[in-house]
Amino acid sequence: MTAVADISAQQARLTAGAQAALITVIVGAVCLALEGEAPWLVKWPAAWELPATQWVGAFLDWFLNGIKPVMRVFSDLMTYPMDWANFVLGKTPWPILIGIVTALGWYLGGLPMAALGFLGLGFVLASGYWAESMNTLALVAVSVPVALIMGGAIGILANEVPRVKAFVQALLDVMQTVPTFAYLTPLLLLFGFGPVVGLIASAIYAAPPMARNVMLGLERVEPEIKEAAVMSGGTRFQQLFQVEIPAATTQIMVGVNQCLMAALSMVIIAAVIGGFNDIGWEVLLTMRKAQFGESLTAGLVIVVFAVVIDRMSGTLATERKRYDRRVVWAILGFAVLFTVAFWALLPNPSELTLLDPMTDAIDSGLTAFTQANGPWLDALKNNSLFYVLLPLRIGLDQAVLPYTWGFQWTPGMSYGLFAAGAVIALLMAWRGHLTGGLIVLILIGMLETGIANLPWPFVLTGAAALGWVAGGWRLAALSVGLLCTILVSGLWERALLSLYLSGAAVFSCAVVGGLIGLASAVWSPVWKVVRPICDMLQTIPLFVFLIPVLMVFQIGEFSAFLAICAYAVVPMIRYTRHGLVNTPDEMMEAAISSGATEWQIMRDVRAPYAAPTILLGLNQTILYAFAMLVIAALIGTTGLGQSIYLALGQADVGLGISAGAAMAILALIADRMVQGFAEERRKALGL
Amino acid sequence: MKKLSVSLLAIAVAGAAHSAEMGAVDQPIKLAINEWTGQHVTTHVAAEMLKAAGYQVEFVTAGMLNQFQALADGDIDATLEIWSSNVSDEYAKKIDEGTVVEIGDLGLDAKEGIAYPAHVADLCPGLPAWEALKDCAQVFATAETLPGGRLVDYPADWGTPGADRMTGLDLPFKAIPAGSEGALIAELRASTERKSPLLITFWQPHWAMSAYDVQFVDLPAGEEACFNDPAWGPNPNAVNDCDFAPSRIFKAGWSGMEDKWPAAYEILSNYQLAVEDQQPMMGAIDVDGGAVEEVVAAWMADNEDKWRPVVDAATQ
Repeated sequence: MTAVADISAQQARLTAGAQAALITVIVGAVCLALEGEAPWLVKWPAAWELPATQWVGAFLDWFLNGIKPVMRVFSDLMTYPMDWANFVLGKTPWPILIGIVTALGWYLGGLPMAALGFLGLGFVLASGYWAESMNTLALVAVSVPVALIMGGAIGILANEVPRVKAFVQALLDVMQTVPTFAYLTPLLLLFGFGPVVGLIASAIYAAPPMARNVMLGLERVEPEIKEAAVMSGGTRFQQLFQVEIPAATTQIMVGVNQCLMAALSMVIIAAVIGGFNDIGWEVLLTMRKAQFGESLTAGLVIVVFAVVIDRMSGTLATERKRYDRRVVWAILGFAVLFTVAFWALLPNPSELTLLDPMTDAIDSGLTAFTQANGPWLDALKNNSLFYVLLPLRIGLDQAVLPYTWGFQWTPGMSYGLFAAGAVIALLMAWRGHLTGGLIVLILIGMLETGIANLPWPFVLTGAAALGWVAGGWRLAALSVGLLCTILVSGLWERALLSLYLSGAAVFSCAVVGGLIGLASAVWSPVWKVVRPICDMLQTIPLFVFLIPVLMVFQIGEFSAFLAICAYAVVPMIRYTRHGLVNTPDEMMEAAISSGATEWQIMRDVRAPYAAPTILLGLNQTILYAFAMLVIAALIGTTGLGQSIYLALGQADVGLGISAGAAMAILALIADRMVQGFAEERRKALGL
Repeated sequence: MKKLSVSLLAIAVAGAAHSAEMGAVDQPIKLAINEWTGQHVTTHVAAEMLKAAGYQVEFVTAGMLNQFQALADGDIDATLEIWSSNVSDEYAKKIDEGTVVEIGDLGLDAKEGIAYPAHVADLCPGLPAWEALKDCAQVFATAETLPGGRLVDYPADWGTPGADRMTGLDLPFKAIPAGSEGALIAELRASTERKSPLLITFWQPHWAMSAYDVQFVDLPAGEEACFNDPAWGPNPNAVNDCDFAPSRIFKAGWSGMEDKWPAAYEILSNYQLAVEDQQPMMGAIDVDGGAVEEVVAAWMADNEDKWRPVVDAATQ
């Protein structure tokens, strides 16, 4: 009795969160109760769907054909830098290129960098993929500047004209979340067949991290510095380029780094179209034959480039000492002499097979591993599927079967579960956590029904409620409006499947990535190990990992889940560490002088200061997870990713763009909500 | 330029009825290289034939599904191994536009079917007869398909022939789309290495047929009636209760090709390659690790009688 009385007393002054949660619970309960009488509440009837994908297709066909001539001109223009880059990289003898990179390494970072450049390119040479690698480098050499200029311009624009900031954020999200495969068909139509399509696709994908970091960096320039620039009487242009951008260099360099990584990771997309015998094509060919060793070697070539470029560009951002230029000339001179002296003896790099023993060993190692560890890996997969993923997807009422859990789920058990949930909710409400109690009830309801079977009114209400709490009425209206477009376009079921898979992956990544980031920040040896792994995960074409994952866990959701996690965990690690490490010195000094322990500093100074950066990481993790959904479709998932492949195969512009847009909508809503909560958090902390 | 070559063609046709004009021999003919080894063999053999006729050839890597735009724009001149079971709608659009033309069958006799690696016969006695699958569905069951068995089907964008067979024959199997060819091969490889059960939709000619000793399930022969008339076949209530419809493998070219290189067009139109020739070459490349150029060169030297007449007919 007292509990009920307490609740009614509280209802008079319900918080926003509690109101939102209460409405969601009521809608959910009504849907569940009426499930039998009104099936249209659970499943959107096909008769109510609009032929939106056809409309989109028809409109785009008309539009694309209209702007095609202009784009073809651009495409023709871009072939010039492509051809030059190709010519220079392809015709330069390999000892000279290795010499140049080694010398550059020395100039930038002394012996360690020189060694890195030398060994890295040595690996590429030994792999026998030299010619293909040079084609890839030519592509990257043209697409990265395009992406950097595009991203930098967008970032500066958003900084200078605050009114467009919301629009720019949305644009960046769209660029990063509409999967590249979704717009490959229109790009092909616009730009014609060939590497230029891949170049543009990779520039579109790589520009957003640059823009975001430029924005963040400029935002974070200390007001004193800005004022000093204003007082010294510079024009706005001078203030920006001579004071603010240099002051934001560290953050912008994070952007350059991310941009490079993203561009390299898109190399494989260029290969899907073809027209260009590059390293991505080799990965695709070997991947099609399930030759793990060879596809890994080809993939590692891309990683080597990423690491070399990343480390060398990284030194530009930091204060560095001057290295002796005479060594640079000596290295270059030696390379030229070597080339001239041994010209006749130089082996054709395409015929080198020094790494073949390694690829064979990797392949047989994988075989031995799957043979030896089959039983427990199967058990791991089955348990994860039975007890976690399947209930999440189709709910306990369908996932609990005699074959899986050992007994059959009955309606009585559902009632029991709901009753238990109600008791927990009441108890929590009685202790003063009404919102928490209601959320528990909602989660239990979702677990019973399964994400893929959630009634659409419940999803819309839930999204509206979350949006309202996170960002007010505007966000709530935006969420509902966008979700409705998915609902009427007939992609709803697929969207829920995608939501389930990426949601599960993002949650796991946030926990695991956050912990790894924390460990890397606290203890630098961890970072030494984690950093190259992060670089590898972000740049190696993930197709490569699909093979061992498939060999071990077979086609299916668990493999897809692992593949998504492997990719999406990286930004969480990076941003968590970056945020925790870069606490301003004066804050640290204040904390140390006040006698705080290491742990107190972490909890009370570093973590709050890092919170916005960590949330930016979470935001990126969400976007990465959605991006990876498409690749995961290659191992047979059934969500929006599969629709995008279907569309690519049938050259169905309408379906491809609609499914891509649906994916972007889900990511966009999730992202806006995270940012809304982050904003609240920042205000609460007074940052 | 086009006018000129058309008039040249007219003269050529008037002058010599049997052989065609060579056309622009100083410009390379661009042939598409797609993602699979069989197609590489097919294309390299064709390229050697064109070179023997006196043409220059250039290979252009192109995604199988994305190549038709390039073909329509003349960025690629011909693609020589298109499977009717796996061709995008875009191809039909380009044919309707008239920018791409079909240039005849390749003559490769393909077979698709429900298949399994040989060791699976021990796990499900009674194979290759399809009726055996009724009783051993449990053997093939996995977490996602329980209580049914699991059939690994083609990637969704290739269609769902495996799922259609399971429904048609009323077999207790759930079809899981593979997502990509690599995924199919990885399944075959894992199954062979771990001696685990596997039922898969597969096709030949393919190098994996011999590498993993893949066998086809015997299904009732596919007749036209099976695909239209539910009463036909073992299941009186459904269509598709039989083997796969035979798929056709053919060649296509850019519409301007016939005018630009008349003789080359004739060579490619008449070019045929048999499974018995292609499959050993695929094996020599994918299983034994040979280079495609060398394997093809060896075959060309040994089998001159098979290709030389096609070249001679067009040029002499």
